[in-house]
Amino acid sequence: MAILKLHNITKKYAKADYFAVNNVSLEVESGEILALVGESGSGKTTLLRLIAGLEHPNDGNISLSGVCIVNGQKSVPANERKVGMVFQDYALFPHLNVLDNVKFGLTGKNINADQVAKDTLQMVGLNENFKKYPHQLSGGQQQRVALARAIAPNPSIILLDEPFSNLDAMLKDQVREEIRQIIKKTKVTAVFVTHDTRDALSTADRIAILHNGLLQQIGTPKSLYEEPVNAYVANFFGKQNSIIASAKDGGFLTPFGFLPDANAYQYTGEVQLLFRPEHVSLGSGEDFPLSGAIFKVSYFGDHQIVKLADPQGKRISLKTTPDKSFDGISTLAFSLNQYKVISDNTIRQKEQV
Amino acid sequence: MELAKQRYYWWNRWALAAIIVLLLVSIPIFTILVKLFAVPGESWNHLVDTQLLGYFKNTILLLFGVAIFASLIGISAAWLVSAYDFPGRRYFEWLLILPLGFPAYIMAYTYTGMLEYTGPLNSFLRNNLGIVTKGSLIDIMNLPGAIFILSITLFPYIFVISRSSFLQQSRTLQEASALLGSSRLRTFLLYLESLQRGNRKYAQANSMSKPFERIKAGKGMKFVFFGICTTIFLISFGLPLLQIFYWVNLTWHKVASWDFLLLIYRSFSLAAGTGFAVVVLSIILLYALRLSPFAWVKNITKIATLGYAIPGAVIAVGIMIPLLNIDKWLMSVFTPQSVGLIFSGTLFALVFAYIVRFMAVGYNPLDAGFQKIGIHVNEASRLLGQGSMRTLWNIDLPLIKTSMLSGILLVFVDVLKELPLTLILRPFNYHTLATKAFDMATNEMIAESANASLVIILTGILPIIFLNRLIRKRNG
Repeated sequence: MAILKLHNITKKYAKADYFAVNNVSLEVESGEILALVGESGSGKTTLLRLIAGLEHPNDGNISLSGVCIVNGQKSVPANERKVGMVFQDYALFPHLNVLDNVKFGLTGKNINADQVAKDTLQMVGLNENFKKYPHQLSGGQQQRVALARAIAPNPSIILLDEPFSNLDAMLKDQVREEIRQIIKKTKVTAVFVTHDTRDALSTADRIAILHNGLLQQIGTPKSLYEEPVNAYVANFFGKQNSIIASAKDGGFLTPFGFLPDANAYQYTGEVQLLFRPEHVSLGSGEDFPLSGAIFKVSYFGDHQIVKLADPQGKRISLKTTPDKSFDGISTLAFSLNQYKVISDNTIRQKEQV
Repeated sequence: MELAKQRYYWWNRWALAAIIVLLLVSIPIFTILVKLFAVPGESWNHLVDTQLLGYFKNTILLLFGVAIFASLIGISAAWLVSAYDFPGRRYFEWLLILPLGFPAYIMAYTYTGMLEYTGPLNSFLRNNLGIVTKGSLIDIMNLPGAIFILSITLFPYIFVISRSSFLQQSRTLQEASALLGSSRLRTFLLYLESLQRGNRKYAQANSMSKPFERIKAGKGMKFVFFGICTTIFLISFGLPLLQIFYWVNLTWHKVASWDFLLLIYRSFSLAAGTGFAVVVLSIILLYALRLSPFAWVKNITKIATLGYAIPGAVIAVGIMIPLLNIDKWLMSVFTPQSVGLIFSGTLFALVFAYIVRFMAVGYNPLDAGFQKIGIHVNEASRLLGQGSMRTLWNIDLPLIKTSMLSGILLVFVDVLKELPLTLILRPFNYHTLATKAFDMATNEMIAESANASLVIILTGILPIIFLNRLIRKRNG
């Protein structure tokens, strides 16, 4: 069941001549972790703040737990939305100790605030230091307090703004996993914003990619990686080769040779073929219809990257095992295990990027 | 779908409160603006024909004279205490701010007294050296005299700003300049240039930058620097204060009375009350701005602070006109005897005028305070279910306590010193310390006036010391 629904959300800041968020519609399922991914300026943080009620859209609707919280110019104030948020800078209250920070959202509720706060703190892995003040804690501890504070009032959804950006690389992997487990344990729905695709791939159940305020694609990490709808999404997740080909009967004519494809008849004229370096096989014979001149071979310990050049000098990268030797070989035959065909209008979109 | 509890996102009670405050505070400002374009009266035309050119010339000369002279003192003193280490440097850092507590009119009276024929300088020359002068030796009742008095009371503003800029400048610039073979003087000029650039293009503010490093002044220079700072301090504060103490010693038994204590009490409560009011109104404006989704609101709330740029006497007129009209209207509706003057000629008018005049003094430290704590703590509180009022009370206000205190203190001192506006708007026979000092001084009782002046100066010094400590604590 979708707990959060955004419908045609549009946001334009005053004085800006572009849309920060442009007609975005998406749904978040109950209990899932959704990552909003994009470069800076893509509108991902604005979208998060729109859900929280800290910004207001120019148009569109948002509903949370079946209640309409935004309807065009009218909206439910942030303090009545039951949304938890972990800020990038944590935004702990510096004049309150850890326990009082977590209890802050529990006042006025008919519960034992003290106990709930302590339980939540323990769940995020803090067992002592309840009387310490935020400035006495390490960055990682502060983040846990912020998470506990957001979760304690039992919100319908929690929002996390760049939760991993302040952590050093060593800690990141560990914290990603811990936070994912905490969120899953509480069964709360979570939406987080990140610019780092690895954060998204490792932590999220589904990923939404934003670019220039437009939602490009939303889906599971696997589907985005393997079935990108356009070149922007494809490029977002690692190296991507792109070659221009023309559609013929029974295949595509590429600068590296003729690639047989029974579905080629669906396309006419010039198309773009996208494939990842690892989605190739090297060999010889009929099954390896493409070939190119070896330009450069780089050894990386656990794999090698072979760069091929077409007659015009355009290069592609192929990934292969570390044991292959390319001594004395000048051309290499290969086949594509998996590739994506993008026809005209999508090519133009790529050029705009 | 359920549509409960929704409202227009741009509307809240804070916006309404801010609009009301803004309207009230801008009444006198707009009154003045409207009068600016009104048809001039006969007396104005007469002034234009006869005096205006002269006034204009004097004003311009005074303006440039004070700007140049005060900058000269302020910037060079700031450079000395920031760039060099010499005996007493630590003390001069705050001693040279103290003249801020000296209102210009008291400084003027004090210097007039000091340089009079019967004053200490001439008496000394006459009695001890046998030099008989014709009238006063140094006449300061002229334009250079006015420039001198205003410069020695105003230079601390320049001193404070330059000093904090010098302190904030990174040492890297200093080092780079030294490596390139620049002298200390050229580094100084480089600083001035980067100072003036402020936060415009190419300006750098690097939080990683190291603080400015002082170098020890050479043997001879040590005494020169000490001498320069001592002279500035004595002329702008030490000597006039001594003179005031001397006068107080002569006359305190004549002045000290219940009436004088009552005067102090009255002035203090007026100043404290205004300080409190300004801070409360500023918080309303700034909090509405904080919650508002629109960027232009910031420009509108700035209107409230315009009064600080308008001379007190002009504001007094801007207050009088609308208040008199309201009173006239009230008297026409009711019988004149039953209502009397409610707004004009009462303490209400005076406090109202102080608020308009000194709004900026309380508004700016609070603005800085709000900006320093950032918006996220406020947003976090609201997302945790607290409304805007409870968030203000539980989160924002506790975090800007020092800014509130600074705001109240600064307004307090300014109100205590304020003269022209008070003279015009005070109720009949109502005195503050400032009007009393002025009254006595103009009635040939300079020595007696020193008692009230001393209270004003001493209370003026306290917040200076307090704020200086605060700045120092912040700079680590």
